[in-house]
Amino acid sequence: MKALLKKNKLSVIIVLIYAVLMMVQRDMAFSALGNSTYYLIEMAQILPVIFMLTVAIDVLIPKEWIVKRLGKKSGIGGAALALAFGSLSAGPIYAAFPIAKTLHKKGASIGNVVVILSAWAVIKVPMLANEAKFLGPDFMAVRWILTVLFIFGIGLIMEKSRVKIEDDDTQVKQAVSVKQDYCIGCSACEKGMPEVFAMKEGKAYVIQPDMKMESLDEHEKKRLMNMASKCPPKAIEVNG
Amino acid sequence: MDIFTIGFWIAGGILFIVSIVKNKEKSKEAMKKSKGMMKNMIGDIIGIIFMIGLILTFIPPETIERVLGSGNTFLSSLAAAVVGSITLIPAFVAFPLVGSFVDAGASIVPGVAFLTTLTMVGVVTFPLEKKEFGTKFAVTRNLLSFGAAISIAVLMGVIL
Repeated sequence: MKALLKKNKLSVIIVLIYAVLMMVQRDMAFSALGNSTYYLIEMAQILPVIFMLTVAIDVLIPKEWIVKRLGKKSGIGGAALALAFGSLSAGPIYAAFPIAKTLHKKGASIGNVVVILSAWAVIKVPMLANEAKFLGPDFMAVRWILTVLFIFGIGLIMEKSRVKIEDDDTQVKQAVSVKQDYCIGCSACEKGMPEVFAMKEGKAYVIQPDMKMESLDEHEKKRLMNMASKCPPKAIEVNG
Repeated sequence: MDIFTIGFWIAGGILFIVSIVKNKEKSKEAMKKSKGMMKNMIGDIIGIIFMIGLILTFIPPETIERVLGSGNTFLSSLAAAVVGSITLIPAFVAFPLVGSFVDAGASIVPGVAFLTTLTMVGVVTFPLEKKEFGTKFAVTRNLLSFGAAISIAVLMGVIL
């Protein structure tokens, strides 16, 4: 329970704010809920596409291609590709996070990840049309040029300053893991707990490497321990 | 749904189907990974959305108008950049808002600062960005973007 609260700290705080607001300023609480609706609809419209796109990137684009086109040595061409990709997308900036992360895992450089995120946020084609309509084409064009230059600058600075993207699956010790050398591929664990284990090329692996023990309830924990002890070559390792 | 989101759906859908046709096993695995990633984010995203609802209630467009229109250009630009960093209002609301100010003869500098930080700097989405990319990445990107927004605003004031 405590771990669950800690994990959803943000949500807990927000629920509390709403609860207090409900008591002291009912109108404001309802207006805030109303304001949120637009964004909830936006999220529901965009997340399924993000899901499909991350899958497509993973399956269709070879790693070598991403390393070559968006990697550290991709140069200005890589930055232009990142810019085009970010500009032609739709949706709020958080929708870009899974895409950028997937690309980075496959070899895109930090600088290009930053360009994709920034372009995704600021320079979207439908927004440019809107901007030209209300503020004039000159205003739009000058702001576009300046923004692109600065985005490239930020990408370059972050690339050079060696800011790293923390990769949670390598830094934190995994709570559950399958020792690949020991696994005999009997798939007992996949059959027993398909929500945790899956098979790949004749070996079992943990579907969510960043999964935490705290996210499991007592019953699930027991089942997992049981599974680990039943694994014929004892290849399943459980920490914590 | 606007035409662009529909286009995005069509492109995403086609690529998704191609992936499955091309390599069913690999697609299944990618879907599991993607599902895990989404599950990890969804709670925070919903939290962020209700947070935006709260912020919009406490900082309504009238307050933004006051900030953009206040006398001192330097102070109002800085304030506009800060307000833009915190709020996340849709572009189709932001452009007419700034447009009405520029038409009324106000300086464009605060308006540009607001428009640029609005999308590029995310105080509300910061916790999620931090979780996904690490603290150093999120802090550096947001700080640099804030600086860039101010610079773009000043340069535009000089050019136009």
